Amino acid sequence: MDVHALNNVTLALERGSFAAITGPSGSGKTTLLNLLGGLDRPDAGRIQIAGVEVTTTPADKLADFRLRHVGFVFQAFNLLPVLNVVENLEFTPALQGVSKVERRRRAQDLLKAVGLEEIGSKRPNELSGGQQQRVSVLRAIITEPELVLADEPTANLDSANASLLLDMMERLNREKGLTFIFSTHDPQVMERALRVVRLRDGAVIADDTQTHPAISVRA
Amino acid sequence: MTVKTPDWQRTLQMRYWALNPNKTFIRVTAPAKEAGTGTLRLGTNMWNYLPSVEQTIKIPPSLMLESWMGSDFTNDDLVRESSIVTDYSHRIDGETMEGGDPCYRIVSTAKPNAPVVWDRIILYVRQSDAIPRREEYLDSKGKVQKVLTLGDIRETSGRLYPMRWKMISVNKQGHETVLQFTKLALDRPIPNSVFTQENLRRPF
Amino acid sequence: MLFFSMAWRNVWRNRRRSLLTVMAIGLGLAFNIFLRGVTDGWHDEMIDNSVRAEIGHIQIHRAGYHEEPSINKTLPDPPEVERAIRGLPNLLGYSFRVIGSGLASTAENSTGVEILGVDPAQERTVTTVQRVIVSGQYLSSGVGRPVLIGELLARRLKASLGDKLVLVVQAADGSMGAQLFRVTGIFRSGSPELDGGIVYILRSDAQDLFWLGDRVTEAVVLLRSAREVPGAVTALQRNLRRDDAEILPWWIVEPFIKQLIQLDDAFFYVIALIFFVVISIGILNTLMMSIFERTREFGVMMALGTKPGQIVRLVLEEAFGLGLVGLGVGCALGSAATLFFAKEGINLASVKAGAAVTGITSSVVYTELTQVNLIYSSIAVLVVVLVVALYPAARASRLKPIHAIRYV
Repeated sequence: MDVHALNNVTLALERGSFAAITGPSGSGKTTLLNLLGGLDRPDAGRIQIAGVEVTTTPADKLADFRLRHVGFVFQAFNLLPVLNVVENLEFTPALQGVSKVERRRRAQDLLKAVGLEEIGSKRPNELSGGQQQRVSVLRAIITEPELVLADEPTANLDSANASLLLDMMERLNREKGLTFIFSTHDPQVMERALRVVRLRDGAVIADDTQTHPAISVRA
Repeated sequence: MTVKTPDWQRTLQMRYWALNPNKTFIRVTAPAKEAGTGTLRLGTNMWNYLPSVEQTIKIPPSLMLESWMGSDFTNDDLVRESSIVTDYSHRIDGETMEGGDPCYRIVSTAKPNAPVVWDRIILYVRQSDAIPRREEYLDSKGKVQKVLTLGDIRETSGRLYPMRWKMISVNKQGHETVLQFTKLALDRPIPNSVFTQENLRRPF
Repeated sequence: MLFFSMAWRNVWRNRRRSLLTVMAIGLGLAFNIFLRGVTDGWHDEMIDNSVRAEIGHIQIHRAGYHEEPSINKTLPDPPEVERAIRGLPNLLGYSFRVIGSGLASTAENSTGVEILGVDPAQERTVTTVQRVIVSGQYLSSGVGRPVLIGELLARRLKASLGDKLVLVVQAADGSMGAQLFRVTGIFRSGSPELDGGIVYILRSDAQDLFWLGDRVTEAVVLLRSAREVPGAVTALQRNLRRDDAEILPWWIVEPFIKQLIQLDDAFFYVIALIFFVVISIGILNTLMMSIFERTREFGVMMALGTKPGQIVRLVLEEAFGLGLVGLGVGCALGSAATLFFAKEGINLASVKAGAAVTGITSSVVYTELTQVNLIYSSIAVLVVVLVVALYPAARASRLKPIHAIRYV
């Protein structure tokens, strides 16, 4: 019996979206995210991100695609333990070939912008869960990717830290126009999302655009 | 005795006594450097006397295969002769011409455990009077190592005897030794006192 | 550069495991270096013993002498040969000899011997027979015709100091040469060949005995060390440039020693191979464990855009780091041990009898540390480490990010 993680999903997301994908376990959230990030390939269908046909991109070019166009925030263990915070932030720019001076500057600027500059030289195991996740978001966006994918980013955080994280991501979405797509169970997240896509058993069952009077939507 | 090698040539004069079956005495009389040197053989023992140092030296068994006085004859050659009859078994193997004489070819094979150097000796003896014209000495691999040719057969003491013996070593290119008997007396009694150490030490 | 510092930090993540691996590499390497040092020292001793006992580092004769020795094959143009020899760098000594064979005879007994006619002052710059004289003295001119014989020979001939000894030879002109000598010295070298089969007489007496005039048989050369020999042989060939002379290094004169050395070396390589197999297993184990533990991390890295080739490079760099540290430890320990015994020496008294067969007569062997030893061992360790790391590196690079990330 064939098991399809996703079956016949058609989705279009605009640049600048701040969207959540939700659904019970096994509904295909993670698979969808993986496909959107170029970490996985669909058996049938097309995926286009920022003008790039991801489905036809050869495997060895996918890593490069991810490097330049996608940012990832995982549920946990995002940061490389042997590197300190600044070095973790420098990681993807270093892969891109950015000069040491430039990438150092970018990392420190980012930390300063969110008020985290004192933790720059600490190792991940010296940070709290909340700090780790916020640094992960910074790491995801330091290369200014078109798309930031976050897989249950608040799952291991208390509501206060979750709120802080969401604040940061909202700000980045607003100020830099970065597209955020989360997969989540967390009602806090869903509340703050501007669009919520519900999945069940691999299919989209609802796709609602929510309006928040206090926040203007960038199209 | 004249010895020829690629490096030198020498001629020695000597006097030779032999009493069958196993007593031999040789005294070198010329040239002056070696005059007075003597060799005594009793049975399987051999001594040399060297007048220059006035010493008698026993030849150890390990040196029996060394050449005698630099010639192609070894110490062992001087000792061996008489044992050919007892230590070998013989058979006639055909007829050939040797030095113009019709000869019998006799193959002598060493008996097992015989204390001899040569595995086989091939003799070519005159059919008319059994005087050997040629002798070939073969090693255990059947290769000829030395060849003795006998010539100048003359009458002496009422008998025919080869007066010229030539020995060559097959492996040594350009080496040959020629023994030329100038005077030979056979079957004359020789006093036993000749074959003694005392006589050895009396050079002249 | 970021990668290299990552690799280095990764090495020390599990401090205890890495230290164990480093110690394994280090101790194994140290042992290998030391063992090589012992064998090198042993071999040098073997060569030196033989060289200084009789054969020297290089021998020069008339062409064809070595194949078929003969008293008539005398050394061509000794003055020119001497000039060529004196032009050698690192020259310690040389000697011109007459060599022949004959019968040595006393009243009691006689036996075949090799006769060496030497000039004592020259000969002692090359060989060490004068150091092992047990009674009497080394040859000295002005005392009739002296002869120096070995202990075994003295026993066989029942000769003692002061006795008469006759040497009977076949001279160069074919005549029988015989002369009376007096035993003025008895030596014990420890080598049965020398002690039982060689007699030393004055070169001038030998030239008389063998009717050689002023000709000699051989020129023998001693250099500062066996390592100089190939260069010296080439230099002599160039300077002498004649085809009626043969210039022979010690290993042609006495191939037995070189064969023993080669046999020893073969054993050594087997041991070294075993060592490398053992450390390979250790390194492989360490690296595999380290990769399994970091599966998630590799997944994240690859998700972020790290290419498989870069993962391979990372793992190889980690292995290289491990290897480098192990190498440092091993070289330091190995060198220290070898240098210590190079000064103090290893006491061989218990295996003296066995050693005598190989020509070693002293009871202390000094180890030797050579650059070649260190360099080859180091390269070997690094190569092995990198080769072994290829498998874990390939495994890591083949991880699929989505699976790796889920790996808890």
